[in-house]
Amino acid sequence: MSDGWSCRASGSRGLTGALLEPFGAATRHDRASMLDAARQIPRTLADLAVPRPGGGSFRLTDHHVRAALAPPESVTADTPFAWSARTARRALGLTSLRALVTGAVRSPIDGMALAIDDAVRAARQGENAASPMDRWLAGLPPASRAAVQAGAVTWATRVWCAVDWTAFEEPPTIGRDHWWDSPHSSLLALRSRAEIRSVARDQAGSPLSVHLVVLGGPRRATIKFELSAAAVVEVLCARRSLPPGRMVGWWPDSGHLVTVEIDQLALHDGVTAVARTLASVTATPAEYEEATRAAA
Amino acid sequence: MVLVAPQQEQAPPAQSEEPAQVAQPAAARDEVLALLRDGSGQRPRFDPGLSGGLRAWLEDAAADLVARRGEDAAPLFLGPRLLWDGPAPAADPAGRPDDPFPAEWVRSCLVRALFTQVVTTGQVEDPLGDALDALRVDPSRADMVRHLDELPQAARAALAPSLRTHVENLMHLTPRFAPAWLPRTHDRVAIPLAGGRVVLSGVFDLLVGAPVPGRATLCALGLTTGGRWAQARTALHYLALLETLRSGTPPFRLALLHSAAGRYGVEDVLEEHLRTIVSHVVARLSALGPGDV
Repeated sequence: MSDGWSCRASGSRGLTGALLEPFGAATRHDRASMLDAARQIPRTLADLAVPRPGGGSFRLTDHHVRAALAPPESVTADTPFAWSARTARRALGLTSLRALVTGAVRSPIDGMALAIDDAVRAARQGENAASPMDRWLAGLPPASRAAVQAGAVTWATRVWCAVDWTAFEEPPTIGRDHWWDSPHSSLLALRSRAEIRSVARDQAGSPLSVHLVVLGGPRRATIKFELSAAAVVEVLCARRSLPPGRMVGWWPDSGHLVTVEIDQLALHDGVTAVARTLASVTATPAEYEEATRAAA
Repeated sequence: MVLVAPQQEQAPPAQSEEPAQVAQPAAARDEVLALLRDGSGQRPRFDPGLSGGLRAWLEDAAADLVARRGEDAAPLFLGPRLLWDGPAPAADPAGRPDDPFPAEWVRSCLVRALFTQVVTTGQVEDPLGDALDALRVDPSRADMVRHLDELPQAARAALAPSLRTHVENLMHLTPRFAPAWLPRTHDRVAIPLAGGRVVLSGVFDLLVGAPVPGRATLCALGLTTGGRWAQARTALHYLALLETLRSGTPPFRLALLHSAAGRYGVEDVLEEHLRTIVSHVVARLSALGPGDV
């Protein structure tokens, strides 16, 4: 794991450079041995996810990990999920960014108009693909919808301006979350959230996956554990994709970056974080669903 | 930055033999836009070390403050109200226990919601209704919405004309930015100092332009709904400082819109502004004691 906070400007070169920086010569060998070592992880995690009285399945997201690792004084009660400008901005913002990256639109505002129009149309025409968020948006008065649109435009514009989009070998994947379902326990699934996924190469030219995570809230000492938990999911899913390389967390509010190179130490930290999260889980299944949706 | 009236209001009436022109709402916002664009082909470069120097100055003051408060004290979140003497310089202004929703604060929130709508859609149908609808999708304003919903009809009716005046002025003053200018409202900045134990924060009402490393390319528009002009200008300089710490370069130009008076001011950001405001913040941090926040 890299050695800590990097205090860099949020200019597109700094963030993109941190994400796409070439890996060292030994990286691929290290990753291969790490993947071998990771074979034990599914069994270890399944053993931790034991059924509890009154408990349901464990579908853990970054939201659960963050809450479990937070110091006691900063823990706030989970509020039931509800759609709002805040909870909708990421989904809408990602749709806008996808349209920008493919060249379908020229600005985040244009992308957002398209995203909201599509959502409202899908809901009003009763299309099967209409999501709960689409139906919520369609039912809003115009002024509420404008407020949602404004929040999502700001979210998307910050990401759009922070990344040098010309630096990618091929268009990056925007906002596809990865879920890992435990092969040993039907009770356990883990999610890795990333806003941008792409490829960086080691010195031999071999590709490894890199993942940009947009962070919220204050800087916190536990962030590396949070990113390492996501790295565990990337490692566990890696058998069907590229070997995992690095996670970069970025706070748009402050421009700070934190980089986690996915190595054996990161795996250890990630498993520790997941274990602590599982241990802290006492909520009912219904509350879990609420928290999972809140984190989406 | 000088508070100015739109040119059409400054012109002496009936000096021409032509009939007096009816004020065209587009004119004032075009003035603001022209002032923001003026000289935009020559965006200034700032010393790359400027941001680090300002940060170092603030870090020293923050470290002293942390030493006075104790290493284990909860993180301190400080917004623009830090800049003035007062009992609670916290990041999010809130009312006192005996008056949780002061009228000025409520009006400010409603007008800001309408400003966002003006920027986003260019139109407002029903100022009070639209502002409330906008706040209804912001869970952090749920209590304020409940307070407003429960106001007696007479109190709500009294609020509406005031909001209409603000909206008319905003429609008059707010440029219609093309999407390529990347306008974004309510852009929050939070700069941690002393390892996150002190956080300086603020919110840009509107930012336009794309950041370019080493070059000042952003314009920031702030809104004041009726407070003192000099105070609002200082708050905008504070935000310019935070942007300098976030991205390494300050905004290129600032505009301040006075939604109650229908006036505006536009000015370039100078190093002198940043040094003055950082000196002011340092003085205020130094004056805070363990029990002040």
